[in-house]
Amino acid sequence: MRMSEFLADHMGQLLLRAVFAGAAVLFLLATGTAPGVAVLLLIVWLLVFTTSQVVDYLRQRARLQELEGIMDSLDKQYLFAELAPRGRTVYERRLLDFCRRAGRAMATQVSEAQAAQREYREYVESWVHEVKTPITAAGLICRNAEPEFRRRLAQELAQIEAHVERALFYARAESLEKDFILRESNLSDIVSQAVGQHRTLLIQSGVRVETEDLEQTVFTDGKWAAFILGQLLQNAARYRGNQPLVTLSGRQLGRQVQLTVSDSGIGIPAHELPRIFDRGFTGSNGRAQGGSTGMGLYLCKKLADCLDIGLRVASEVNEGTSVTLTFPSRENLTKV
Amino acid sequence: MQKIMIVEDDQAIREELALLLENEGYAPIVGEDFSTILEQAGRECPDLVLLDVGLPGRDGFSLCANLRKSVKAPVIFVTSRSSSLDEVRALSLGGDDYITKPYSIPVLLARIKAVLRRSGATDGTDVLEAAGLCLSLTKGTVSVSGQTAELTRNELQILACLMAHAGQIVSRADLIETLWDNQIYIDDNTLSVNMTRLRTKLAEIGLPDAIKTRRGMGYQL
Repeated sequence: MRMSEFLADHMGQLLLRAVFAGAAVLFLLATGTAPGVAVLLLIVWLLVFTTSQVVDYLRQRARLQELEGIMDSLDKQYLFAELAPRGRTVYERRLLDFCRRAGRAMATQVSEAQAAQREYREYVESWVHEVKTPITAAGLICRNAEPEFRRRLAQELAQIEAHVERALFYARAESLEKDFILRESNLSDIVSQAVGQHRTLLIQSGVRVETEDLEQTVFTDGKWAAFILGQLLQNAARYRGNQPLVTLSGRQLGRQVQLTVSDSGIGIPAHELPRIFDRGFTGSNGRAQGGSTGMGLYLCKKLADCLDIGLRVASEVNEGTSVTLTFPSRENLTKV
Repeated sequence: MQKIMIVEDDQAIREELALLLENEGYAPIVGEDFSTILEQAGRECPDLVLLDVGLPGRDGFSLCANLRKSVKAPVIFVTSRSSSLDEVRALSLGGDDYITKPYSIPVLLARIKAVLRRSGATDGTDVLEAAGLCLSLTKGTVSVSGQTAELTRNELQILACLMAHAGQIVSRADLIETLWDNQIYIDDNTLSVNMTRLRTKLAEIGLPDAIKTRRGMGYQL
Protein backbone atom coordinates (compact mmCIF):
# COMPACT_ATOMS: atom_id res chain seq x y z
CA MET A 1 0.00 0.00 0.00
CA ARG A 2 1.33 3.39 -0.94
CA MET A 3 1.03 6.54 1.17
CA SER A 4 -1.22 8.14 -1.44
CA GLU A 5 -3.57 5.17 -1.30
CA PHE A 6 -3.68 5.39 2.47
CA LEU A 7 -4.44 9.12 2.31
CA ALA A 8 -7.12 8.62 -0.30
CA ASP A 9 -8.71 6.02 1.95
CA HIS A 10 -8.79 8.41 4.92
CA MET A 11 -9.55 11.61 3.03
CA GLY A 12 -12.96 12.16 4.63
CA GLN A 13 -11.63 11.81 8.18
CA LEU A 14 -8.64 14.03 7.48
CA LEU A 15 -10.81 16.79 6.08
CA LEU A 16 -13.27 16.50 8.95
CA ARG A 17 -10.48 16.80 11.53
CA ALA A 18 -8.91 19.73 9.71
CA VAL A 19 -12.25 21.52 9.72
CA PHE A 20 -12.70 20.74 13.41
CA ALA A 21 -9.17 21.94 14.24
CA GLY A 22 -9.80 25.19 12.32
CA ALA A 23 -13.11 25.65 14.12
CA ALA A 24 -11.46 24.97 17.51
CA VAL A 25 -8.77 27.59 16.80
CA LEU A 26 -11.41 30.16 15.78
CA PHE A 27 -13.41 29.33 18.92
CA LEU A 28 -10.32 29.77 21.12
CA LEU A 29 -9.47 33.11 19.48
CA ALA A 30 -13.08 34.30 19.81
CA THR A 31 -13.16 33.39 23.53
CA GLY A 32 -10.04 35.49 24.13
CA THR A 33 -7.23 32.93 24.07
CA ALA A 34 -3.96 34.51 23.08
CA PRO A 35 -3.13 33.78 19.41
CA GLY A 36 0.30 32.35 20.39
CA VAL A 37 -1.33 29.76 22.67
CA ALA A 38 -3.86 28.83 20.02
CA VAL A 39 -1.11 28.30 17.40
CA LEU A 40 0.94 26.29 19.91
CA LEU A 41 -2.06 24.06 20.62
CA LEU A 42 -2.64 23.62 16.87
CA ILE A 43 1.02 22.58 16.31
CA VAL A 44 0.96 20.08 19.19
CA TRP A 45 -2.32 18.60 17.93
CA LEU A 46 -0.91 18.39 14.37
CA LEU A 47 2.21 16.57 15.59
CA VAL A 48 0.27 14.03 17.66
CA PHE A 49 -2.29 13.48 14.90
CA THR A 50 0.28 13.09 12.10
CA THR A 51 2.35 10.67 14.18
CA SER A 52 -0.65 8.50 14.93
CA GLN A 53 -1.61 8.47 11.24
CA VAL A 54 1.92 7.52 10.16
CA VAL A 55 2.04 4.73 12.75
CA ASP A 56 -1.33 3.57 11.51
CA TYR A 57 -0.12 3.59 7.94
CA LEU A 58 3.06 1.67 8.74
CA ARG A 59 1.16 -0.98 10.68
CA GLN A 60 -1.34 -1.48 7.91
CA ARG A 61 1.41 -1.72 5.36
CA ALA A 62 3.34 -4.28 7.42
CA ARG A 63 0.20 -6.32 7.91
CA LEU A 64 -0.57 -6.36 4.19
CA GLN A 65 3.00 -7.35 3.40
CA GLU A 66 2.76 -10.17 5.90
CA LEU A 67 -0.45 -11.47 4.34
CA GLU A 68 0.96 -11.10 0.85
CA GLY A 69 4.01 -13.08 1.90
CA ILE A 70 1.76 -15.89 3.10
CA MET A 71 -0.22 -15.77 -0.12
CA ASP A 72 2.87 -15.92 -2.30
CA SER A 73 4.36 -18.81 -0.38
CA LEU A 74 1.23 -20.90 -0.91
CA ASP A 75 1.24 -23.69 -3.44
CA LYS A 76 -2.56 -23.66 -3.58
CA GLN A 77 -3.47 -20.01 -3.24
CA TYR A 78 -7.17 -20.67 -2.96
CA LEU A 79 -6.46 -21.98 0.56
CA PHE A 80 -5.24 -18.54 1.64
CA ALA A 81 -8.18 -17.69 3.85
CA GLU A 82 -7.86 -21.02 5.68
CA LEU A 83 -4.21 -20.45 6.40
CA ALA A 84 -4.19 -16.70 7.12
CA PRO A 85 -3.43 -15.72 10.74
CA ARG A 86 -6.32 -14.69 12.98
CA GLY A 87 -7.53 -11.19 12.13
CA ARG A 88 -6.37 -8.43 14.49
CA THR A 89 -9.54 -6.46 14.37
CA VAL A 90 -13.17 -7.49 14.25
CA TYR A 91 -13.37 -5.94 10.81
CA GLU A 92 -10.38 -7.93 9.52
CA ARG A 93 -11.72 -11.13 11.06
CA ARG A 94 -15.07 -10.66 9.37
CA LEU A 95 -13.43 -10.06 5.99
CA LEU A 96 -11.26 -13.16 6.32
CA ASP A 97 -14.34 -15.06 7.33
CA PHE A 98 -16.08 -14.01 4.12
CA CYS A 99 -13.05 -15.13 2.14
CA ARG A 100 -13.16 -18.51 3.85
CA ARG A 101 -16.84 -18.93 3.12
CA ALA A 102 -16.35 -17.95 -0.50
CA GLY A 103 -13.43 -20.39 -0.74
CA ARG A 104 -15.48 -23.22 0.68
CA ALA A 105 -18.39 -22.53 -1.65
CA MET A 106 -15.94 -22.56 -4.55
CA ALA A 107 -14.36 -25.80 -3.35
CA THR A 108 -17.78 -27.44 -3.25
CA GLN A 109 -18.50 -26.27 -6.78
CA VAL A 110 -15.16 -27.48 -8.03
CA SER A 111 -15.47 -30.88 -6.41
CA GLU A 112 -18.96 -31.27 -7.80
CA ALA A 113 -17.68 -30.43 -11.26
CA GLN A 114 -14.81 -32.86 -10.82
CA ALA A 115 -17.14 -35.59 -9.66
CA ALA A 116 -19.36 -34.98 -12.68
CA GLN A 117 -16.34 -35.11 -14.96
CA ARG A 118 -15.11 -38.30 -13.32
CA GLU A 119 -18.52 -39.90 -13.65
CA TYR A 120 -18.71 -38.91 -17.28
CA ARG A 121 -15.29 -40.29 -17.93
CA GLU A 122 -16.15 -43.53 -16.14
CA TYR A 123 -19.27 -43.79 -18.22
CA VAL A 124 -17.34 -43.23 -21.46
CA GLU A 125 -14.80 -45.84 -20.40
CA SER A 126 -17.39 -48.42 -19.52
CA TRP A 127 -19.33 -47.61 -22.68
CA VAL A 128 -16.18 -48.14 -24.72
CA HIS A 129 -15.59 -51.46 -23.01
CA GLU A 130 -19.17 -52.50 -23.62
CA VAL A 131 -19.13 -51.57 -27.29
CA LYS A 132 -15.98 -53.60 -27.82
CA THR A 133 -17.89 -56.78 -27.08
CA PRO A 134 -20.23 -56.52 -30.08
CA ILE A 135 -17.33 -55.38 -32.27
CA THR A 136 -15.46 -58.53 -31.26
CA ALA A 137 -18.54 -60.64 -31.87
CA ALA A 138 -19.06 -59.06 -35.30
CA GLY A 139 -15.43 -59.80 -36.18
CA LEU A 140 -15.86 -63.44 -35.18
CA ILE A 141 -19.16 -63.79 -37.00
CA CYS A 142 -17.95 -62.35 -40.29
CA ARG A 143 -14.93 -64.67 -40.52
CA ASN A 144 -17.05 -67.26 -42.34
CA ALA A 145 -18.39 -64.80 -44.86
CA GLU A 146 -17.34 -64.58 -48.47
CA PRO A 147 -13.79 -63.07 -48.60
CA GLU A 148 -14.54 -59.80 -50.37
CA PHE A 149 -17.52 -59.12 -48.12
CA ARG A 150 -15.49 -60.03 -45.05
CA ARG A 151 -12.68 -57.70 -46.03
CA ARG A 152 -15.00 -54.77 -46.53
CA LEU A 153 -16.76 -55.43 -43.27
CA ALA A 154 -13.44 -55.84 -41.50
CA GLN A 155 -12.41 -52.43 -42.79
CA GLU A 156 -15.55 -50.82 -41.40
CA LEU A 157 -15.10 -52.62 -38.09
CA ALA A 158 -11.53 -51.42 -37.92
CA GLN A 159 -12.76 -47.86 -38.42
CA ILE A 160 -15.33 -48.21 -35.66
CA GLU A 161 -12.60 -49.57 -33.44
CA ALA A 162 -10.31 -46.63 -34.20
CA HIS A 163 -13.06 -44.12 -33.42
CA VAL A 164 -13.95 -45.89 -30.21
CA GLU A 165 -10.33 -45.99 -29.15
CA ARG A 166 -10.01 -42.26 -29.75
CA ALA A 167 -13.05 -41.61 -27.58
CA LEU A 168 -11.52 -43.71 -24.82
CA PHE A 169 -8.21 -41.89 -24.92
CA TYR A 170 -9.96 -38.54 -25.16
CA ALA A 171 -11.76 -39.33 -21.91
CA ARG A 172 -8.48 -40.42 -20.37
CA ALA A 173 -6.51 -37.44 -21.58
CA GLU A 174 -9.05 -34.87 -20.43
CA SER A 175 -9.41 -36.44 -17.03
CA LEU A 176 -7.44 -35.18 -14.06
CA GLU A 177 -6.50 -38.61 -12.84
CA LYS A 178 -4.04 -40.07 -15.27
CA ASP A 179 -3.99 -43.80 -14.97
CA PHE A 180 -0.93 -44.72 -16.94
CA ILE A 181 1.97 -46.78 -15.72
CA LEU A 182 5.46 -45.78 -16.69
CA ARG A 183 7.61 -48.85 -16.95
CA GLU A 184 10.27 -50.49 -19.02
CA SER A 185 8.86 -51.33 -22.42
CA ASN A 186 10.32 -52.59 -25.62
CA LEU A 187 10.02 -50.18 -28.53
CA SER A 188 9.47 -52.97 -31.03
CA ASP A 189 6.60 -54.33 -28.91
CA ILE A 190 4.95 -50.93 -28.93
CA VAL A 191 5.42 -50.62 -32.68
CA SER A 192 4.03 -54.08 -33.44
CA GLN A 193 1.08 -53.37 -31.16
CA ALA A 194 0.31 -50.16 -33.05
CA VAL A 195 0.85 -51.66 -36.49
CA GLY A 196 -1.24 -54.68 -35.52
CA GLN A 197 -4.12 -52.48 -34.44
CA HIS A 198 -4.18 -50.63 -37.75
CA ARG A 199 -3.17 -53.54 -39.93
CA THR A 200 -6.44 -53.61 -41.84
CA LEU A 201 -6.28 -49.93 -42.79
CA LEU A 202 -2.59 -50.08 -43.68
CA ILE A 203 -2.90 -53.18 -45.84
CA GLN A 204 -5.98 -51.87 -47.64
CA SER A 205 -4.26 -48.55 -48.31
CA GLY A 206 -1.31 -50.46 -49.73
CA VAL A 207 1.08 -48.91 -47.23
CA ARG A 208 4.39 -50.63 -46.86
CA VAL A 209 5.83 -50.55 -43.35
CA GLU A 210 9.54 -50.73 -42.70
CA THR A 211 11.21 -50.89 -39.32
CA GLU A 212 14.77 -50.09 -38.29
CA ASP A 213 16.62 -50.47 -34.98
CA LEU A 214 13.58 -50.95 -32.82
CA GLU A 215 15.30 -53.11 -30.22
CA GLN A 216 15.42 -50.31 -27.68
CA THR A 217 14.13 -49.99 -24.17
CA VAL A 218 11.93 -47.02 -23.35
CA PHE A 219 10.26 -45.97 -20.12
CA THR A 220 6.67 -45.25 -20.90
CA ASP A 221 3.17 -46.65 -20.86
CA GLY A 222 3.13 -49.07 -23.77
CA LYS A 223 -0.61 -48.74 -24.46
CA TRP A 224 -0.57 -44.95 -24.52
CA ALA A 225 2.52 -44.87 -26.69
CA ALA A 226 0.96 -47.42 -29.06
CA PHE A 227 -2.13 -45.22 -29.31
CA ILE A 228 0.01 -42.20 -30.24
CA LEU A 229 1.81 -44.26 -32.87
CA GLY A 230 -1.52 -45.54 -34.11
CA GLN A 231 -2.73 -42.01 -34.80
CA LEU A 232 0.45 -41.30 -36.78
CA LEU A 233 0.03 -44.53 -38.76
CA GLN A 234 -3.59 -43.69 -39.54
CA ASN A 235 -2.54 -40.26 -40.79
CA ALA A 236 0.16 -41.86 -42.92
CA ALA A 237 -2.47 -44.11 -44.48
CA ARG A 238 -5.04 -41.35 -44.93
CA TYR A 239 -2.71 -38.78 -46.42
CA ARG A 240 -0.66 -41.15 -48.53
CA GLY A 241 0.95 -40.43 -51.84
CA ASN A 242 1.90 -42.83 -54.61
CA GLN A 243 3.67 -45.95 -53.38
CA PRO A 244 3.08 -45.18 -49.74
CA LEU A 245 5.78 -46.17 -47.32
CA VAL A 246 6.07 -45.69 -43.58
CA THR A 247 9.40 -46.09 -41.89
CA LEU A 248 9.62 -46.53 -38.15
CA SER A 249 13.16 -46.16 -36.94
CA GLY A 250 14.57 -46.13 -33.45
CA ARG A 251 17.67 -44.28 -32.35
CA GLN A 252 19.58 -44.03 -29.10
CA LEU A 253 20.39 -40.42 -28.31
CA GLY A 254 22.45 -40.18 -25.18
CA ARG A 255 20.16 -41.52 -22.51
CA GLN A 256 17.06 -40.83 -24.51
CA VAL A 257 15.51 -42.95 -27.21
CA GLN A 258 14.00 -41.45 -30.31
CA LEU A 259 11.46 -43.01 -32.60
CA THR A 260 10.91 -41.44 -35.99
CA VAL A 261 7.82 -42.19 -38.00
CA SER A 262 8.28 -40.93 -41.52
CA ASP A 263 5.91 -41.38 -44.40
CA SER A 264 6.06 -40.63 -48.09
CA GLY A 265 2.71 -38.91 -48.03
CA ILE A 266 1.34 -35.64 -49.35
CA GLY A 267 2.89 -33.59 -46.55
CA ILE A 268 1.65 -30.59 -44.57
CA PRO A 269 1.98 -26.97 -45.83
CA ALA A 270 4.55 -25.06 -43.79
CA HIS A 271 2.13 -22.39 -42.60
CA GLU A 272 -0.16 -25.03 -41.10
CA LEU A 273 2.57 -26.83 -39.17
CA PRO A 274 2.40 -24.66 -36.03
CA ARG A 275 -1.27 -25.43 -35.60
CA ILE A 276 -1.47 -29.15 -36.28
CA PHE A 277 -1.63 -30.05 -32.58
CA ASP A 278 -4.51 -27.64 -31.93
CA ARG A 279 -7.78 -29.15 -30.91
CA GLY A 280 -10.14 -29.44 -33.85
CA PHE A 281 -7.66 -28.09 -36.37
CA THR A 282 -8.18 -29.62 -39.79
CA GLY A 283 -5.65 -28.44 -42.30
CA SER A 284 -6.15 -28.08 -46.01
CA ASN A 285 -5.44 -31.81 -46.42
CA GLY A 286 -8.08 -32.74 -43.89
CA ARG A 287 -10.65 -30.49 -45.53
CA ALA A 288 -9.80 -31.75 -49.01
CA GLN A 289 -10.29 -35.38 -47.95
CA GLY A 290 -13.15 -34.86 -45.55
CA GLY A 291 -13.79 -36.90 -42.47
CA SER A 292 -11.00 -35.26 -40.52
CA THR A 293 -11.89 -34.43 -36.94
CA GLY A 294 -8.76 -32.58 -35.89
CA MET A 295 -8.58 -34.76 -32.82
CA GLY A 296 -5.86 -37.30 -33.65
CA LEU A 297 -2.80 -35.11 -33.35
CA TYR A 298 -4.35 -33.06 -30.54
CA LEU A 299 -4.68 -36.25 -28.53
CA CYS A 300 -1.16 -37.31 -29.49
CA LYS A 301 0.22 -34.09 -28.10
CA LYS A 302 -1.86 -34.24 -24.96
CA LEU A 303 -0.93 -37.85 -24.18
CA ALA A 304 2.69 -37.29 -25.12
CA ASP A 305 2.86 -34.40 -22.66
CA CYS A 306 1.53 -36.65 -19.90
CA LEU A 307 4.17 -39.25 -20.68
CA ASP A 308 6.87 -36.61 -21.06
CA ILE A 309 7.44 -37.65 -24.67
CA GLY A 310 8.72 -34.92 -26.96
CA LEU A 311 6.91 -34.59 -30.29
CA ARG A 312 8.52 -32.92 -33.26
CA VAL A 313 7.09 -32.73 -36.74
CA ALA A 314 8.84 -31.94 -39.98
CA SER A 315 7.03 -31.96 -43.27
CA GLU A 316 7.51 -31.13 -46.89
CA VAL A 317 4.57 -30.87 -49.25
CA ASN A 318 4.52 -33.81 -51.71
CA GLU A 319 7.57 -35.32 -50.00
CA GLY A 320 6.21 -36.61 -46.74
CA THR A 321 5.96 -36.03 -43.05
CA SER A 322 8.16 -37.27 -40.28
CA VAL A 323 7.25 -37.21 -36.63
CA THR A 324 9.93 -37.78 -34.02
CA LEU A 325 9.01 -39.03 -30.59
CA THR A 326 11.67 -38.49 -27.95
CA PHE A 327 11.15 -40.79 -24.99
CA PRO A 328 12.46 -39.55 -21.66
CA SER A 329 15.33 -41.31 -20.01
CA ARG A 330 14.70 -43.19 -16.81
CA GLU A 331 16.57 -40.58 -14.72
CA ASN A 332 14.35 -37.77 -15.94
CA LEU A 333 11.24 -39.76 -15.27
CA THR A 334 11.82 -40.14 -11.58
CA LYS A 335 11.45 -36.39 -11.33
CA VAL A 336 8.01 -36.34 -12.92
CA MET B 1 -7.47 -82.99 -28.38
CA GLN B 2 -6.78 -80.11 -26.07
CA LYS B 3 -9.66 -78.82 -24.05
CA ILE B 4 -10.13 -75.08 -23.91
CA MET B 5 -12.65 -73.70 -21.49
CA ILE B 6 -14.42 -70.51 -22.58
CA VAL B 7 -15.68 -68.31 -19.75
CA GLU B 8 -17.45 -65.43 -21.45
CA ASP B 9 -20.72 -63.67 -20.74
CA ASP B 10 -21.57 -62.55 -24.25
CA GLN B 11 -23.50 -65.31 -25.94
CA ALA B 12 -22.58 -64.41 -29.51
CA ILE B 13 -18.86 -64.41 -28.72
CA ARG B 14 -19.20 -67.61 -26.71
CA GLU B 15 -20.81 -69.49 -29.55
CA GLU B 16 -18.58 -68.12 -32.29
CA LEU B 17 -15.47 -68.72 -30.26
CA ALA B 18 -16.51 -72.32 -29.59
CA LEU B 19 -17.06 -72.84 -33.32
CA LEU B 20 -13.75 -71.25 -34.18
CA LEU B 21 -11.80 -73.34 -31.67
CA GLU B 22 -13.54 -76.49 -32.83
CA ASN B 23 -12.54 -75.74 -36.43
CA GLU B 24 -8.99 -75.23 -35.28
CA GLY B 25 -8.91 -78.68 -33.75
CA TYR B 26 -9.47 -77.90 -30.08
CA ALA B 27 -12.21 -79.20 -27.86
CA PRO B 28 -14.03 -76.15 -26.51
CA ILE B 29 -15.85 -76.34 -23.19
CA VAL B 30 -18.37 -73.58 -22.74
CA GLY B 31 -18.85 -72.38 -19.20
CA GLU B 32 -22.62 -72.16 -18.80
CA ASP B 33 -23.32 -71.15 -15.23
CA PHE B 34 -20.93 -68.64 -13.80
CA SER B 35 -21.77 -69.47 -10.22
CA THR B 36 -20.56 -73.05 -10.66
CA ILE B 37 -17.69 -72.30 -13.00
CA LEU B 38 -15.09 -73.48 -10.50
CA GLU B 39 -16.77 -76.84 -10.04
CA GLN B 40 -17.18 -77.21 -13.80
CA ALA B 41 -13.52 -76.43 -14.32
CA GLY B 42 -12.55 -78.98 -11.68
CA ARG B 43 -14.67 -81.61 -13.40
CA GLU B 44 -13.55 -81.00 -16.97
CA CYS B 45 -9.84 -80.41 -16.34
CA PRO B 46 -9.29 -78.03 -19.28
CA ASP B 47 -5.83 -77.52 -20.74
CA LEU B 48 -6.45 -73.78 -21.01
CA VAL B 49 -9.01 -71.29 -19.77
CA LEU B 50 -10.07 -68.24 -21.78
CA LEU B 51 -11.45 -65.93 -19.14
CA ASP B 52 -13.46 -62.77 -19.68
CA VAL B 53 -12.71 -60.33 -16.88
CA GLY B 54 -16.01 -58.50 -17.02
CA LEU B 55 -18.42 -61.23 -15.95
CA PRO B 56 -21.81 -60.39 -14.46
CA GLY B 57 -21.96 -60.49 -10.68
CA ARG B 58 -18.41 -61.55 -10.34
CA ASP B 59 -15.03 -60.00 -10.87
CA GLY B 60 -12.99 -61.99 -13.35
CA PHE B 61 -9.82 -61.12 -11.49
CA SER B 62 -10.98 -62.76 -8.25
CA LEU B 63 -12.35 -65.67 -10.24
CA CYS B 64 -8.93 -66.14 -11.75
CA ALA B 65 -7.29 -66.20 -8.35
CA ASN B 66 -9.72 -68.92 -7.23
CA LEU B 67 -9.35 -70.78 -10.49
CA ARG B 68 -5.62 -70.89 -10.10
CA LYS B 69 -6.04 -72.62 -6.74
CA SER B 70 -8.24 -75.45 -8.01
CA VAL B 71 -7.10 -75.96 -11.61
CA LYS B 72 -3.61 -76.20 -12.96
CA ALA B 73 -4.51 -74.97 -16.43
CA PRO B 74 -3.03 -71.73 -17.72
CA VAL B 75 -5.39 -68.78 -17.96
CA ILE B 76 -5.62 -66.23 -20.77
CA PHE B 77 -7.56 -63.10 -19.92
CA VAL B 78 -9.78 -61.87 -22.70
CA THR B 79 -11.03 -58.44 -21.84
CA SER B 80 -12.20 -55.17 -23.23
CA ARG B 81 -10.44 -53.31 -20.43
CA SER B 82 -7.33 -52.06 -22.05
CA SER B 83 -5.39 -49.98 -19.55
CA SER B 84 -1.92 -50.94 -18.44
CA LEU B 85 -3.22 -51.07 -14.89
CA ASP B 86 -5.66 -53.86 -15.77
CA GLU B 87 -2.94 -55.74 -17.56
CA VAL B 88 -0.52 -55.57 -14.67
CA ARG B 89 -3.28 -56.65 -12.31
CA ALA B 90 -4.27 -59.59 -14.50
CA LEU B 91 -0.75 -60.88 -14.92
CA SER B 92 0.05 -60.44 -11.23
CA LEU B 93 -3.00 -62.53 -10.35
CA GLY B 94 -1.62 -65.47 -12.24
CA GLY B 95 -2.94 -64.90 -15.74
CA ASP B 96 -0.59 -66.33 -18.34
CA ASP B 97 -1.51 -63.89 -21.06
CA TYR B 98 -3.76 -60.95 -21.66
CA ILE B 99 -5.66 -60.23 -24.85
CA THR B 100 -7.83 -57.18 -25.36
CA LYS B 101 -11.03 -57.11 -27.35
CA PRO B 102 -11.49 -56.66 -30.20
CA TYR B 103 -8.79 -59.13 -31.10
CA SER B 104 -7.87 -60.44 -34.50
CA ILE B 105 -8.52 -64.14 -34.84
CA PRO B 106 -4.99 -65.11 -35.96
CA VAL B 107 -3.53 -63.26 -32.98
CA LEU B 108 -5.89 -65.01 -30.58
CA LEU B 109 -5.02 -68.40 -32.03
CA ALA B 110 -1.31 -67.65 -31.94
CA ARG B 111 -1.51 -66.64 -28.28
CA ILE B 112 -3.46 -69.79 -27.40
CA LYS B 113 -0.87 -71.89 -29.15
CA ALA B 114 1.99 -70.08 -27.42
CA VAL B 115 0.50 -70.46 -23.95
CA LEU B 116 -0.29 -74.14 -24.53
CA ARG B 117 3.25 -74.70 -25.71
CA ARG B 118 4.71 -72.98 -22.66
CA SER B 119 2.53 -74.95 -20.31
CA GLY B 120 3.72 -78.13 -21.99
CA ALA B 121 0.26 -79.27 -22.97
CA THR B 122 1.29 -79.66 -26.59
CA ASP B 123 3.84 -82.10 -27.84
CA GLY B 124 6.03 -79.07 -28.49
CA THR B 125 6.46 -79.77 -32.14
CA ASP B 126 8.04 -77.13 -34.31
CA VAL B 127 7.83 -79.22 -37.42
CA LEU B 128 4.98 -78.90 -39.89
CA GLU B 129 4.29 -81.71 -42.32
CA ALA B 130 1.98 -81.46 -45.29
CA ALA B 131 1.91 -82.44 -48.95
CA GLY B 132 5.12 -84.43 -48.55
CA LEU B 133 6.98 -81.36 -47.29
CA CYS B 134 8.59 -81.16 -43.89
CA LEU B 135 9.06 -77.65 -42.50
CA SER B 136 11.22 -76.98 -39.49
CA LEU B 137 10.12 -73.69 -37.94
CA THR B 138 13.11 -73.32 -35.63
CA LYS B 139 15.76 -74.23 -38.17
CA GLY B 140 14.02 -72.42 -41.00
CA THR B 141 14.46 -75.26 -43.44
CA VAL B 142 12.17 -77.22 -45.68
CA SER B 143 12.99 -80.77 -46.72
CA VAL B 144 11.51 -83.32 -49.02
CA SER B 145 12.85 -86.85 -49.56
CA GLY B 146 16.26 -86.08 -48.13
CA GLN B 147 16.80 -82.77 -49.88
CA THR B 148 16.80 -79.60 -47.80
CA ALA B 149 16.54 -75.91 -48.61
CA GLU B 150 17.03 -72.96 -46.29
CA LEU B 151 14.32 -70.35 -46.22
CA THR B 152 14.27 -66.70 -45.26
CA ARG B 153 11.91 -65.51 -42.52
CA ASN B 154 9.32 -64.29 -45.04
CA GLU B 155 9.43 -67.46 -47.12
CA LEU B 156 9.17 -69.57 -43.99
CA GLN B 157 6.01 -67.81 -42.84
CA ILE B 158 4.43 -67.99 -46.28
CA LEU B 159 5.08 -71.70 -46.56
CA ALA B 160 3.95 -72.32 -42.96
CA CYS B 161 0.68 -70.58 -43.70
CA LEU B 162 0.13 -72.59 -46.88
CA MET B 163 1.01 -75.84 -45.13
CA ALA B 164 -1.31 -75.11 -42.21
CA HIS B 165 -4.09 -74.88 -44.78
CA ALA B 166 -2.83 -77.62 -47.09
CA GLY B 167 -5.30 -78.42 -49.84
CA GLN B 168 -7.24 -75.21 -49.29
CA ILE B 169 -6.94 -72.06 -51.32
CA VAL B 170 -5.27 -69.24 -49.41
CA SER B 171 -5.92 -65.79 -50.83
CA ARG B 172 -3.14 -63.26 -51.22
CA ALA B 173 -4.91 -60.96 -48.78
CA ASP B 174 -5.04 -63.70 -46.14
CA LEU B 175 -1.36 -64.44 -46.68
CA ILE B 176 -0.47 -60.79 -46.25
CA GLU B 177 -2.55 -60.55 -43.07
CA THR B 178 -0.90 -63.64 -41.64
CA LEU B 179 2.52 -62.21 -42.38
CA TRP B 180 1.61 -58.89 -40.74
CA ASP B 181 0.54 -60.79 -37.66
CA ASN B 182 4.08 -62.15 -37.58
CA GLN B 183 5.58 -58.66 -37.78
CA ILE B 184 6.43 -58.98 -41.46
CA TYR B 185 4.89 -55.87 -42.99
CA ILE B 186 4.95 -56.60 -46.70
CA ASP B 187 2.83 -55.34 -49.53
CA ASP B 188 1.42 -57.08 -52.56
CA ASN B 189 4.52 -56.68 -54.73
CA THR B 190 6.87 -57.97 -52.08
CA LEU B 191 4.64 -60.99 -51.61
CA SER B 192 4.96 -61.78 -55.32
CA VAL B 193 8.75 -61.51 -55.12
CA ASN B 194 8.89 -63.76 -52.07
CA MET B 195 6.53 -66.24 -53.67
CA THR B 196 8.73 -66.51 -56.75
CA ARG B 197 11.83 -67.09 -54.62
CA LEU B 198 10.02 -69.70 -52.55
CA ARG B 199 8.96 -71.54 -55.69
CA THR B 200 12.52 -71.48 -57.04
CA LYS B 201 13.79 -73.00 -53.80
CA LEU B 202 11.12 -75.68 -53.85
CA ALA B 203 11.99 -76.42 -57.48
CA GLU B 204 15.63 -76.88 -56.50
CA ILE B 205 14.71 -79.65 -54.10
CA GLY B 206 12.55 -81.32 -56.71
CA LEU B 207 9.11 -79.83 -56.22
CA PRO B 208 8.65 -77.30 -59.02
CA ASP B 209 4.87 -77.22 -58.89
CA ALA B 210 4.19 -77.63 -55.20
CA ILE B 211 2.44 -74.28 -54.92
CA LYS B 212 -0.32 -73.83 -57.43
CA THR B 213 -1.68 -70.43 -58.41
CA ARG B 214 -5.45 -70.34 -58.49
CA ARG B 215 -6.17 -67.42 -60.70
CA GLY B 216 -8.26 -64.79 -59.00
CA MET B 217 -8.44 -66.78 -55.79
CA GLY B 218 -5.00 -67.29 -54.35
CA TYR B 219 -2.52 -70.07 -53.76
CA GLN B 220 -2.91 -73.72 -52.95
CA LEU B 221 -0.43 -76.28 -51.73
